[in-house]
Amino acid sequence: MDTTVGTNSQTYSKSKVKKKRNKKNTIIYIILTLFAIVNAYPIVWMVINSFKSEQEFAVNQFGFPSEFVLENYVSAWNTANFGVLFKNSIFICLAATLITVFIGALASYFLARFSFKMNKIVYTLFLFGMLIPIHATLVPMFILIRNLGLLNSSVTLLFPYIAFNLPITIFILTSFMKAFPKDIEESAIMDGCGIFRIFWSIILPMSRPALATVVILNFINNWNEFSFALVLINDPNLQTLPLGLASFAGQFTTDYGAQMAGLTMTLVPILAFYLLLEKEIVKGMTAGAVKG
Amino acid sequence: MHLAKNKQMAITFGLFPALLIYMIFAIYPILQSFYYSFMEWDGFSDMTYVGLSNFKELFQDPLFWNSAKNNIYVVLASVLGQVPIALFIALLLNRKLKGSKIFRTIGFMPVVLSTVVISLTWSLIYNSQDGMINELLRAVGLGALAQNWLGDTQWSMIAVCVTVVWQFVGLYLIIFLAALQNVPEEVLEAARMDGANEWTTTWKITIPMIWETILVAIILCIAGSLRTFDLIYVMTHGGPSHSTDVMALYMFNETFSNLQYGYGSAVSVVIFFFSLLLIFIVTKLLGRKMI
Repeated sequence: MDTTVGTNSQTYSKSKVKKKRNKKNTIIYIILTLFAIVNAYPIVWMVINSFKSEQEFAVNQFGFPSEFVLENYVSAWNTANFGVLFKNSIFICLAATLITVFIGALASYFLARFSFKMNKIVYTLFLFGMLIPIHATLVPMFILIRNLGLLNSSVTLLFPYIAFNLPITIFILTSFMKAFPKDIEESAIMDGCGIFRIFWSIILPMSRPALATVVILNFINNWNEFSFALVLINDPNLQTLPLGLASFAGQFTTDYGAQMAGLTMTLVPILAFYLLLEKEIVKGMTAGAVKG
Repeated sequence: MHLAKNKQMAITFGLFPALLIYMIFAIYPILQSFYYSFMEWDGFSDMTYVGLSNFKELFQDPLFWNSAKNNIYVVLASVLGQVPIALFIALLLNRKLKGSKIFRTIGFMPVVLSTVVISLTWSLIYNSQDGMINELLRAVGLGALAQNWLGDTQWSMIAVCVTVVWQFVGLYLIIFLAALQNVPEEVLEAARMDGANEWTTTWKITIPMIWETILVAIILCIAGSLRTFDLIYVMTHGGPSHSTDVMALYMFNETFSNLQYGYGSAVSVVIFFFSLLLIFIVTKLLGRKMI
């Protein structure tokens, strides 16, 4: 008799616990959904409205467009010179990323795999760069670039972009390369490999995961950079996307449709890139954070 | 001997390109700004040495203090907004519910977007006529609350801070999630066996165990929000009537609009030391509390 009661109350309390947990989970889902809406809706709102005509935007902001209008895109593309902006951004991004990663990897190889007198000092000097507030260098950077006669050229932005992405690149690559076992090089040297040969055909291929991380990180940083471009580039034909967008919005303040179309065009490549390579991107963008 | 010499050359050769570009375009400008900060210079004609007078002038300029104050607001909003929200959401996501990956993906998304895109999007959201917020307020019958969010000195700083918080919550969310995943399950299990409820395990075990990460996040948050420039430059340009001016923007305007390169460099130097100092203080303060 007693036992039956016991089991009964047990099953009763079990189902009560389950009910309680379900209720809790529902609340958690509601909070998470709210968070997701707050996070995503501003962007979704902007993208959807970029397809509405001016009249429709004025009366119906929250629904889907009654018909998809591409007029905004045409006008953004033509007035803001988006073709040129895209070309500039892609060139600067790719060139800066490739150079940074290559010379950064080369430096990391020596910092990680060789012991020499200045090793620690050089490494610390590079890491110090992560603490420099970029805006504190805008004025002297402008003067330096002007004195070098490099203002307003198609390669101007490469210099600051490379210099300021080297610290994080070297930090990530050095700590990755340090973890390789010592005997890799020893056997390679036995086989008569030179130092640079080891770098090119052993260390670089082995560093592939870390290289992927830094390539992505560099690319996103360069794609989004604004301050240096603002200070160093005046020529509309040399502007990058963020700079072009900002000046376009400044000129056509009331043409919301075209602004949203321009924003969407800038947004889509990076968003696609993010959804495709989420894991790597998250790893790269948080790598600097976990250095402590 | 021969081999050692070869090695030395290879090392020099290998470090040279990175070191050269880094020294010229990152370290040298910082040193130069120290030098320029003692000069009076319009950027074109000859410089004149003026000693500390730029700094004196700077510390007497109410507009500078106004921008410093606004900068502190941004720091406070970031530290008190981003970190707790991110921690709270991370704790919820760490329960490994179904679909938590989607929330993580959406949560991190703003971090990868360009600040210019974010600023312009939020400018449209805050727009006084057709902006999303005002439209929403009107739709629910609260049209009387509609504001010129970015154009009203009373609201502009709040509006900017909301965007700042929105932009970077995801970054700290991911950092906290990674830390939470390293909290050993056995410890939590043991606490539960001892009858500790979820509230207690979270406060007494989980949070102390990731305290180090929270500290790092706060420091990153401070360093990041002291750098705020792009966002405000695009959204308000420091206006209306300097209500959203921050130090970097003040420096930018003094240098490039008023052509005071020496003075602007002095502001750069102050920003540089100010951020190092703040990071140092916070590390000391929070570091001590931890032990």
